[in-house]
Formats: sequence, C-alpha cells, structure tokens
Amino acid sequence: MGRYIIRRLISILPTLIGVTFVIFMFQRLIPGDPAVAMLGEHATQENVERIREQFGLNRPLFLDREALVQGDLRGFFDSQYIRYLGRLVRFDLGNSIHRRIPVAETLMLRFPATVELAFLSMLIAIIIGLPVGIASAARRNSVIDGVTMIGSLVGVSMPIFWLGLMEIMLFAVFLKWLPTGGRLSSGVEVETITHLILVDSLLTGNIKAFIDALQHIIMPAAALATIPMAIIARMTRSSMLDVLQEDYIRTAKAKGLEERVVLFRHALKNAFLPVITIIGLQAGTLLAGAVLTETIFSWPGIGKWVYDSILGRDYPIVQGGTLLIAIIFLFINLLVDISYAWLDPRIHYD
Amino acid sequence: MTESTPEDIGVLDFAVREHRSLWLDAWRRLISSNTARLGMFIVGVFILSAVLAHYFWKYDAKTDLDYSLKLKPPNLVATEKIKSIHPFGTDKLGRDIFRRTVHGGWNSLRVGIVAVGISLFVGGLLGLLAGFYESINITYLERIFLMGLTGLFLGSLSAWIAGQPIQALLFTGLGVISVLLSNFLAGKNTRLVLFAGIGLLLGAGPALLVGPLVAVVCGFLGIIVGAILSMPMGGRLFSNIVMRLMDIILSFPGYLLAIAIVAFLGPGLEKGMIAIGVVGIPVYARLARSAVLSVIQKEYILAAQSVGEAHGRIIFRYIFPNILSPIIVQTTMGLANAILSAAALGFLGLGAIPPEAEWGAMLGDSYRYLTSGAWWAVLYPGLAIMLSVLGFNLLGDGLRDALDPKLRI
Repeated sequence: MGRYIIRRLISILPTLIGVTFVIFMFQRLIPGDPAVAMLGEHATQENVERIREQFGLNRPLFLDREALVQGDLRGFFDSQYIRYLGRLVRFDLGNSIHRRIPVAETLMLRFPATVELAFLSMLIAIIIGLPVGIASAARRNSVIDGVTMIGSLVGVSMPIFWLGLMEIMLFAVFLKWLPTGGRLSSGVEVETITHLILVDSLLTGNIKAFIDALQHIIMPAAALATIPMAIIARMTRSSMLDVLQEDYIRTAKAKGLEERVVLFRHALKNAFLPVITIIGLQAGTLLAGAVLTETIFSWPGIGKWVYDSILGRDYPIVQGGTLLIAIIFLFINLLVDISYAWLDPRIHYD
Repeated sequence: MTESTPEDIGVLDFAVREHRSLWLDAWRRLISSNTARLGMFIVGVFILSAVLAHYFWKYDAKTDLDYSLKLKPPNLVATEKIKSIHPFGTDKLGRDIFRRTVHGGWNSLRVGIVAVGISLFVGGLLGLLAGFYESINITYLERIFLMGLTGLFLGSLSAWIAGQPIQALLFTGLGVISVLLSNFLAGKNTRLVLFAGIGLLLGAGPALLVGPLVAVVCGFLGIIVGAILSMPMGGRLFSNIVMRLMDIILSFPGYLLAIAIVAFLGPGLEKGMIAIGVVGIPVYARLARSAVLSVIQKEYILAAQSVGEAHGRIIFRYIFPNILSPIIVQTTMGLANAILSAAALGFLGLGAIPPEAEWGAMLGDSYRYLTSGAWWAVLYPGLAIMLSVLGFNLLGDGLRDALDPKLRI
C-alpha cells in the first residue's frame, strides 16, 4: 500500500509540472505587458525597464541560449519559467498588481471561506442524498423512486446561479428572512481561531454571531448542494440496485432477517464504494468550482476572488488562485483513488 | 382441424419475424420510454422555437429599447396603461422578455452544439487512436513514423540550443534507424550504451562549432535522447502522452478553465464555444479510449487483423460503429452540460456581448436589479436554461436505456 501511494504521488508530478506550465504560459500569452500593467498607462519607459529588470521580465521564457553560447551555464537556466518554479517552491505567488499585497497570504485567508461553504454543502448533499437514494432503491418503481429519479434529474439540470438568484429573490427580497450575501453582518465580530466563522463562533461561545453566520451561509450552501445531492442520490440508488440483486442478499432475506438489517448491514456496506468515489470527486469540484455561487452571494472565497481578478486583469491572483485550485483538485482525486484501493481489497495496487 | 399459423399462436418464429436492425430496435425502445419521449418533446420545442424565431421573427437587439415599458410584470391582455402584451414581462430597458427568451435560445443552443462538436471531434479522435494503439501492435511503418517523430521532437531542443537545425534531422534519422535495426542487440544493455553514444556524438559534434559549453549541454541531451530512442517504444507511448495531456486539462475545474480561456481570448459567443469545447475534450477522449479498450479484445477485431485489414480501416469500419452508443449518450448529456456552461459564462459577462439575447446574459443582467423585485426577469430565462438542460438529460437517459439495456446508472 505504501508503495502504491508513493507511486501515485510520483505519477502526478508530470501533471503538476504541466499545470504550472499551462498557468505560466497563460499569463505570458495574455495581451499586454505585465510591467505596464503594474505601473499604469502613464509610466515612463525608464520605469517600465526598471520593473522588467526587477521582476526578470526581460529574461527569456524557458532557456537562455545566448548565455550558454557565451559560456554561462547558470545564466542558461536563469529564465522566467525556472524563476517562476523557484518562487513556487518557496510558496511565493507574487504580489497583487492592484493592491500590492502578497497573493499567497490572501489566498490562505480566503481559503477557509471556501472550505466552510464547500463542507456545509457537502454535508447537506450527503444527509439528504444518501437516504433518498437508499429509500428509492429499496422501493424500486414506487412513488418515492419516481420522485427521486425526476428530482435528481432536475437537480443535475439546475443552473445553480439561477437557483441562487431565485433564493435571494424569495428569501432576501420578498420575505426578508435572510441577508442577500456576504459572510457576516457588519458590526458582528468573531474572534478568529480557525478562520471558519461557524467553528470560531461556537468555540468562543458567541451564539449571536453563530446564528448570523448560519443565516449568511445557508442560501449559498443550499444552492451549491443541489448538484452533488442529485448525483449522490442517483449513484446510491443505482449502486444499491446492483447489490440488491446479488445472491447473498436473497440468502439474507431467506434467513428471515429484517429488511432494515439486510439493507444497511448487507447491502449498503457493499454499495458504498462507488458512492464514496462520487462524494470525493464532488468534494473536489465544490472546493474548486464555487465561482458562480460565491459571486452571486458575494461570498469572500477563492472562486470569487479569482473571478474578480480576471475581470480586473490582476494576473498574479489569477495565477496563484488557479494553481491552488488545480493542486487541491489533483490531490483530492488522488485521495479518492487511494481510498478506493484501500477500501476494496479486490483491487490490486501493484 | 385447421392448420394454425404463427400469428394465431401469438409467437413469431425468428425466420418469419420482420427484419429489424440494431438501430431500429434501439429507436423502438427509445420511443417506448416515457422519459425519452418527454426529453425529445422538450428538446424539439426548444430547437424548433429557436430556429423558427431566428428565421421568421425578426429581432434586432441593438434597437430594442423602450423606457416607457420599463420593468412591467407579465400581462396576458392589453390594458389602458400597457397597450402591448408581454407574457413574461419586460426588463430594465423595457424589452419584452418572452421575445428575448425565445431568441436567446438560438444563441444558447448554438453555443452548446458547437462546443460539443469541438470536444467530440478532437476528444473522440484522440481517445479512439489512443485506445487503439495502446492495445494493438503498431506496424513497421507506423513505428518508423512514431520513432522518427519522437527523435525530431526531442532533437529539436538540442538543435535549438546549438542553433543548428541539422541536429533535429540527425536525431530523426537515429529514431528511424533504431526501428530498422530493432532486432539488433535487442534487449541487451549494449544497445542502450551504443545508442547513447551515438546520441552523444550527434548532440555534441555539431555543437562543438558553437562553443564548448554548448557542446557539453547538447552532448548530455544527446545521451538521454539516444537512450530513449534505443528502447522499443510502441503505441503505449502515444496513448500515454495523449492521456497525460488530458489529465492536465482535467486537473482544472471545468468552469474555471473555461473562464480563464475566455479571459484570454476575450468575451464573445464564439470564444465561449471554443472555451467550453476545449474543456470538454478530455471527457470524450477518456470515454472513447475506454470504449475502444472494451471492444478491441473481441474476435471480430482479431479477424479483421488476421485478414490484413489496414489499421485505419479497422478503426473506422470495425471499432468506431461499435463504440458509438456510449458516445451518442455522452454527447446528448454533454449538450446539456455545454448549455449550462454557456449560460454560466454568459451570466458572468464572458459569453454573449450585450445587448445580444442569451439566457445566461439575460440572467446576469437581471442580477443587477434583483432588489427591485422584478421576479419575472429572473424566472423565465433561468427556466428556459433548466428546461432545455433537463430535456437533453432526459433524452440522454432514455438513449442510454435504449442503446445499452445492460447499463444502468
């Protein structure tokens, strides 16, 4: 198992390098000179040159031929891409162009907001999706099953940004029960420990802030949970249906076991594997892909920040955020693979 | 006693039964399913209304503006105040939302279809070739082609560093020779050393003319390239390269990559099509590859190989028709996804350029005056997105049941 994990870790290295390459090229290919972007339109030629020198923007992209011909091996590798990789290894993602703050620090500050939202959505999706899937498999072709199948198909087809807008319309504009967006109302303060506001407010016993935070997170979490919920319900149903046809289920029923025991002890355990895979993959998507939901609910997470930066042409943020998201995505998929091999003894990992 | 015909007994003998093709069978299963019929109906209504509106109901988004009708709720009968009928109400600029929703369908569906076309063509072809060459021994000619190309590709780096294009050709030649002499010292380490040595000569030799350090670097590269070329590489190499490239695309979450591509290309419907199409490529590549791998072991492929059919013919005559069903299903579902992504891009202001009518862009527009309480401006465009996506998903579900009754997800 240990060897399998190490091998899988090594196997994502080329992909990781490919990802850095794509992100690097992406920034280089975007029209416009980064030095001019940093200084503004009215910068003098001299200042532009100075910035280019300072950030190594006058170096070649990958390898410096000229330096090699002149016998300078160090200079040969002193290129923009290699420098970029060097900075990445030191967790230096550069500074935001507009606000001049380090990207890495802000990413770490914003990441908990995304994690909090993704985690709560996943929780909602599992708590509802799993039982519904089991119930509809147990009562195949019943009314419950029909409603689940149609409901899950509608859920998969749901444009979540529209759902989010409708939620705001109903609960925030017409009923005025919930706030339209943000993470906390202004004036409500929470001592930061983990940067997860729900956790922090509970830890410090600040119930008022907890309720306020809950009111803010519930709409985006519900919107974000829709698609994973539908997918989990469908997957659970089909996986359970497969298992319920097995001989050992018939044996268990023939023994006179209660249906509940057969369903949860015998069937669910074996039907769980594909469901876990789906949950893992969806968790990756949630952590990474909440751009739309975060934008609609002004949720201060990574997705919204990256999107705002794309519009504002603040490329270090776009690069850093995209890289972080891609790496998280890769590692969650890797974890899913490994857990698969770990949970299913039939899979050989050599 | 009269003789009973098969019809009387109610059982048709196989010989008597009318001939039905595989596709006809699938079609009958499809139209016998309620969900598929519903899906077909929804998809049909949307496509028909979009096409008819585009050709027969003139609409010019640029001149459509009437402040006197600003944000009017839906009405089905004309009144004193509002003389025109707006079944879906009007938006901030007094534009009829019903009209814009119907016309928006043309843009939204078009983006979906073109995007899926791009991913299907590129991804499907790559996956087909990757799956095929992964499991079939490649022919002599293909091996020469592959190794020559590998040599050319790897040699180009050395050629670029030394500034001598001739090196790329030399390494191409080395790749070809490696195939021609594939039985020479096969499986022995001597072969590796020999080729690495030749690589050193090819790399360092011409580079010496440029400078000593260049020669060292190029020689080092040459050793690696030579060693790689000495190994018997086959189709697995090709498949590996393609699938790793797909992994790279897949490691970016879909929406984000599409947004990034549009940010790079600039907003616009066409750019959106390309972005969504590129993001979808790996899905079809993986699907096509795994489908090929599942049919390639079948006897009919072996039979085709043993009678000496060309590889291209095997791929397109024997494999392609047999992996068509999962691809058709995925394409239908993919259309649903592409429409959703297109709307998302439009919503973020990265798709259709205003004032053009497109569902996502219409929602993005209404987002700005959400607090005014104009629910109709939010409800109808979103409903159109959801229903059309649902239609394609229903149809895809039905198609899967019809084309492959064994599959059930």
